[in-house]
Amino acid sequence: MERREFCRFVGACAVVGCAGGLAGCARLLDWSASGTTAAVRSLKPGRAVASGSTDASGAASATGSVPATSGGASSAPPDLSMFVGNDPGLNARAAVAALGGMTRFVRPGDRVVVKPNVVVGRAAELATTTNPYVVAAVVKMALEAGATDVVVLDRPTGVPRNSFEVSGIAQAVADAGGRVKYLSDRDFVSTSIPKGRILTAWPIVGDIFDADVFINVPIAKNHGMAGLTLSMKNLMGVLGGTRGTIHQDFAQKIVDINSLVRPHLVVLDAYRILVANGPTGGDPADVRTTKTCIAGTDPVAVDSLATSLFGMKPSDLDYLVTAGEQGLGITDLSKLRIKKGTS
Amino acid sequence: MSDAPPAPGAVPAQGSPAPPAPDHRRPGIHRARRALQVAFLLLFLVLLTLTVWPLGQVYLGAFLLSDPLIALNSLAGGVWKPAMLLAGLVLVLPLFLGRAFCGYACPTGALLEWTSPTLRPEKPGLPRRFRRSRVPARAREVLRKVPPFLLVACGGLLLFASGAYLWLDPLATLTRTATVLLYPFLDRLARLLGDLFYLAPPLQPAVDAVNGALMGRIVFARPLTFGLTGWVLGWAALLVGLNVLEPRLWCRHLCPLGGLLGLVGRLALFGRKVDADACIHCGRCEQVCPLDAVRNDHLSTDTSRCQSCLDCADVCPTAAIGTGAHPARSTYSPERRALLGATGLAMLGGLVTYTGLSRFERDVRLVRPPGSSGDAAVLQLCTRCGQCMKVCPTNVVQPSVTKSGLEGIFTPEMDYRIGFCDWSCNECGKVCPTGAIMPLALEKKRTTKIGRAYIDKNRCIPWADYNTCLVCQELCPVPDKAIVLTQVEVARPGGGTVKLGRPEVVPERCIGCGVCENACPVVHESAITVRAIEPERTA
Repeated sequence: MERREFCRFVGACAVVGCAGGLAGCARLLDWSASGTTAAVRSLKPGRAVASGSTDASGAASATGSVPATSGGASSAPPDLSMFVGNDPGLNARAAVAALGGMTRFVRPGDRVVVKPNVVVGRAAELATTTNPYVVAAVVKMALEAGATDVVVLDRPTGVPRNSFEVSGIAQAVADAGGRVKYLSDRDFVSTSIPKGRILTAWPIVGDIFDADVFINVPIAKNHGMAGLTLSMKNLMGVLGGTRGTIHQDFAQKIVDINSLVRPHLVVLDAYRILVANGPTGGDPADVRTTKTCIAGTDPVAVDSLATSLFGMKPSDLDYLVTAGEQGLGITDLSKLRIKKGTS
Repeated sequence: MSDAPPAPGAVPAQGSPAPPAPDHRRPGIHRARRALQVAFLLLFLVLLTLTVWPLGQVYLGAFLLSDPLIALNSLAGGVWKPAMLLAGLVLVLPLFLGRAFCGYACPTGALLEWTSPTLRPEKPGLPRRFRRSRVPARAREVLRKVPPFLLVACGGLLLFASGAYLWLDPLATLTRTATVLLYPFLDRLARLLGDLFYLAPPLQPAVDAVNGALMGRIVFARPLTFGLTGWVLGWAALLVGLNVLEPRLWCRHLCPLGGLLGLVGRLALFGRKVDADACIHCGRCEQVCPLDAVRNDHLSTDTSRCQSCLDCADVCPTAAIGTGAHPARSTYSPERRALLGATGLAMLGGLVTYTGLSRFERDVRLVRPPGSSGDAAVLQLCTRCGQCMKVCPTNVVQPSVTKSGLEGIFTPEMDYRIGFCDWSCNECGKVCPTGAIMPLALEKKRTTKIGRAYIDKNRCIPWADYNTCLVCQELCPVPDKAIVLTQVEVARPGGGTVKLGRPEVVPERCIGCGVCENACPVVHESAITVRAIEPERTA
């Protein structure tokens, strides 16, 4: 064997060996959360002052453009705001403004994570995914409030790119100045759920804990098991692992996740709602155009109010009943100060 | 050697001022050839890389139809596409340029050429000289006779409506190899590099951006995985490994596309010509010929092999080799008896395939992608190239291993435990070059039944475990849900009653997309499975 040939042979062996070594590294770097101990994490404490006491500066600066309202004329921000209008984006803006504006939640320099519902790829008209205009409005509001980075993420059950692109959310987010983050295994961290009764640990997207502000932007729609999927059920999308097994003792598990993940702000899109064959839908006949947007800081309260859009009561949904019993939020609509209006 | 036209040993005896012989050497052609080879390989890889959801205007698609072997097979199967005109051009080319396709265009040929053991060129600009064949002379004589017989065998299969021989097609081979080996590797590599760089927090936004750009194109939600990896790897290794016996042995003697082009090349009107007076029979041309086209007397050319690369002209010390009309052809022509024997064998092989003797398994799980026009048509038309598998965003289209028999190896089938047929995708039909999978409009695909889901009530969680579950119903993409939940209150075996919804399939709504089977949380075999609805093959 010539020297040259020998060198070539050794080189080839080295390349093959390196490839094998890389594959071995992949095992060491296994990010799947199985086997590791669950991290103890929680969302960053909200900057927003609890509703009841006024955050004068934030509220004043943002409520300047709030249109006519029919809610209570208290100076404190209401618990919930519900706006109806022909433009989904304006509805969202009005609803957030009524709560005191995005500046109440987002401070300059903040990193914001937005979680819409992007379950599968369907056109926005089919009310399967959060209205892109609402997502865009939330992203823009966060940027206007001074956020430096607005990340939009979800873990679709469909193909991620198809879901984000067909739903129109990828384009809307890009136009608004945010960025879509497609999730990988490395983004999920096995996280302990201290108050969980059945679900005590699960892989959860780490970004929502790293972010300064976490905004949940669900769509209101029908769901075979949960009855309705609103803001609390929307948090299923930050879970990793095999989600199929979640569907036993479903109501309790939804409450368990919500006991750990408490979004700073919930903007519920109900411009179009899906009243049957959810959560994937697909038939325009199942869509009702309610032209509504509900915002609030208490997901339980937001979901309780949203049941009225479907002609239901909070007590019709098991997870709302459980959440109420565990004191996770308020389900009694009469105890909530709700600001309603048209945008 | 020097550039002076007549070498010292070959100075003509008569007349002292010898007229300078015309120099036919064209050193530049090697660089041009290499550039073309690289360009075609890059074009091929770029087009294949672009073969992802959502398909733009540019993707590999009909590229393979410019391959005459595939085009002829499709024509015989009654499929006509305009891209086949290109194949006609490729088929006529050998009349003038020999098998230039093999030397200048074929990406598989280029890869096999670059992996062949070579010797260093004697001078810069000259072709690298291939190592001599290690095949014994007698065996070499046999190998040289292979192409016609291989063509007869392929023709036999074609006659009996089986496209199994397209496994041997070089372009399909490369597409298949890249799909099954290269892209899953790139997927894992990108994933691993992303994981590594993610350890440094400042790099995380950049990693997210790259990951976002690659998502669904190179990196997939679940790592790409294909069956038959070992087979494809083994086949690729075999083709490269044959180079050790003899440089480009595959191209020289076994490639059926090369054989087909060579069939036309037999009639070559233009090609390599040797000046018999100037030739000193040094044998360099024979040694350097990449495709073994120089015959023993060095003067004649096997025009069924010559790829018009003119490597021979450049190493010729007397500049005796050039090109011209009416080259001296020396092609192997099988005797009538051998040809008849080969035909008989091919007929027998085709008959065995056709009568179904080789189709050993009829599997209820054999579900073809939407748009495939029946099992028989798939076996006849499918090129086994795997573009449908490459383009599928969920990885559900997998190479068939045993379900459609030996003949159907690497034809596409659905593996719903790996993926599912996505509601927003109909790309596999668009990329299929031959119509084995017909292109369906999205609306049409959404109502095309390819299979039917059955619930195994002995294992389904609400039926067998008396626990709640609705994943299949939840994710069923059919707008009015092909799976319905029936609310019941039933007694548990251990005592007490439980209220739950039990899933059931509405047969007339189910299209067999397999989202349910894919998502079913029952471990190992899903409790809801999609089965074939096409009747069994009878032949």
